[in-house]
Amino acid sequence: MRIAVTGLGVVSALGVGLEENFAALVAGRSGISLTPSLLQSSHRIPVGELSLSNEELHRRCSLEPKGHLSRTALLGILAVREALRDAGLTDLRRVGLVSATSVGGMDLTEHFFRLFKEDERSGRLRDVRMHDCAASTEAIAYHCGLGGYRTTISTACSSAANAIMHGAKLLRHGVVDAVVVGGTDALSAFTLNGFKSLMILDEKPCRPFDESRAGLNLGEGAGYLLLQRAEALQRDPYCYVAGAANSNDAHHQTASSEEGEGAFLAMSEALRRAELTPTDVDYINVHGTGTGNNDRSEGAALKRLFGEQLPPFSSTKGFTGHTLAAAGGIEAVYAALSIARGVIYPNLGFATPIEGFGVAPVTTLQRVDVRTVISNSFGFGGNCSSLVLTQQ
Amino acid sequence: MECYVEHIACHDNLKRDPKELIPDAALRRRMSRVVKMAVSTAVESVGGVEGIDALDAILTATGYGCLADSEKFLRNLIDTDEQLLTPTPFIQSTFNTVGGQIALLRHNRCYNLTYVNRSHSFEDALLDGLMRLSDGESQRILLGAFDERIPSADRILTRMGLGRKGELGEGATFMTLTAERTTDSVARIARLDFPSEPLTEAECLARYGEEPTAELIYAVDGTRELYPTRTARLVAEAARRLSAERREVIIYNALLGGTPTVIVVRWVG
Repeated sequence: MRIAVTGLGVVSALGVGLEENFAALVAGRSGISLTPSLLQSSHRIPVGELSLSNEELHRRCSLEPKGHLSRTALLGILAVREALRDAGLTDLRRVGLVSATSVGGMDLTEHFFRLFKEDERSGRLRDVRMHDCAASTEAIAYHCGLGGYRTTISTACSSAANAIMHGAKLLRHGVVDAVVVGGTDALSAFTLNGFKSLMILDEKPCRPFDESRAGLNLGEGAGYLLLQRAEALQRDPYCYVAGAANSNDAHHQTASSEEGEGAFLAMSEALRRAELTPTDVDYINVHGTGTGNNDRSEGAALKRLFGEQLPPFSSTKGFTGHTLAAAGGIEAVYAALSIARGVIYPNLGFATPIEGFGVAPVTTLQRVDVRTVISNSFGFGGNCSSLVLTQQ
Repeated sequence: MECYVEHIACHDNLKRDPKELIPDAALRRRMSRVVKMAVSTAVESVGGVEGIDALDAILTATGYGCLADSEKFLRNLIDTDEQLLTPTPFIQSTFNTVGGQIALLRHNRCYNLTYVNRSHSFEDALLDGLMRLSDGESQRILLGAFDERIPSADRILTRMGLGRKGELGEGATFMTLTAERTTDSVARIARLDFPSEPLTEAECLARYGEEPTAELIYAVDGTRELYPTRTARLVAEAARRLSAERREVIIYNALLGGTPTVIVVRWVG
């Protein structure tokens, strides 16, 4: 059974919606700002922040600000609504939702906890009721009218890729008639300080795969795809989810192995499931966070799988920052557009290849026929996922 | 879709010491309370760390995740005004820490996913397991769930009125799923369903009971040990209740105000 991608929705530092995102990608215009403007943090470091307050996001969703939804839920609602509109789907009763998040409602919990910490009777409960991961999933399903099976996946930075893989499986098994898959994560002081404490945040805009790379920039956003069985379609889809796989690096809780074992296994298995070989791949949207460790590890896996025939690859983290659990969703949307519109995006911030490594990403926009794309997402806990999207 | 269940372990009934279950002292010492509790339970359920080698999928479920670590990191960042934080609680606050640590114990590179979906988390992970077994993608799956109880969450849930619905609890339960019956099978999961409407006890028995002696575990608020992934523990309870005279136990879960789920567990003889 072929699984088709029939609708796309995205929100990121590049803007709200497919067209704002695509325009910035082809223009090579980064969404990363040098300091946060909305996020309350003492760290003045670059982030990929969407310049709309929670109140403005409520209005964009035609919701009352007093509804007080978490930023994670609001970003998700915007993207899911776009994906549903895009596909023109109207009967949503058996449309499922597999949503990924890593921070859940932490943006609100942070406010609550400052007060609660001083006095346990204080802090507004409406600021903590969306703390758990499923709260954003429930809010998205409710405000988008999705009536089918829904679940929430949280495997750190590979979460949304796993959500896409799982949604395809639910469709094959007939658990849902159609399914919205992807992820959403808002910026929070919690995650910013978490990555800061791991000393993997760059003080400058990130430079994936560059010799001088010094870490990632945190970002926020949401990316969702509507998946349907190919037989049931009224019109041509963007592309197909031809293969997907998850593997564990099993090396370290937060760091990737030197040889990129997990990444290699995930890419190989996803290709095998798609019944394709490495030579079929036209473009790889790499995980490419810009940390010393990730890019070296992922690069090693790419060299091992593709040898001398490494296809064009780029990281779009230089545009959006690393959007954690949303990354696999946002980047799958970009990968689907790459196939549908015949483009390969530039890897921002790259100038010098990693010494002794000999791999260089695409640095200028390419307009070519793109038939097969691999999208990589790797996370803490050694969690490595790869998706294979195809034109046919 | 159905599967067989082996070796159900519950955190409060482990036969071996965590030191024996997690032999790597450095790894064990770094683990927070809930991570140690869940990983120990997982290792006991596979009969010791070597048992991890035979797994071809690791599925974990949690409603609230590693709450103590999340709170600790949040507290530290407020107290220190975001300066000089140690990363350990942040790292362990990640929802897939337990799944990742189990893989790390024996460098098992298999499929490893974490479901975080309130009172459905365990059932959602079980659904993934059933689909993998039915597709032939896995032969031997570790499935488990964990949730921890911390004073702050108790206080908040009580303020929200949830405490009135039952005594808050915690737990970790792990089990192994196989497609075929083995000599170690203790039960068969015959059915997993997500009904769209709440069901009464009579409706549950009428709709899902095939055996005249079918017993129902009707888990709704008001029960003791209220936590999101309690159904994992109810599967252990169901397996204990099965016998030649009681060949079927139906678990109905509508805890914490969620839409209901039903798991039908049958005797394997």
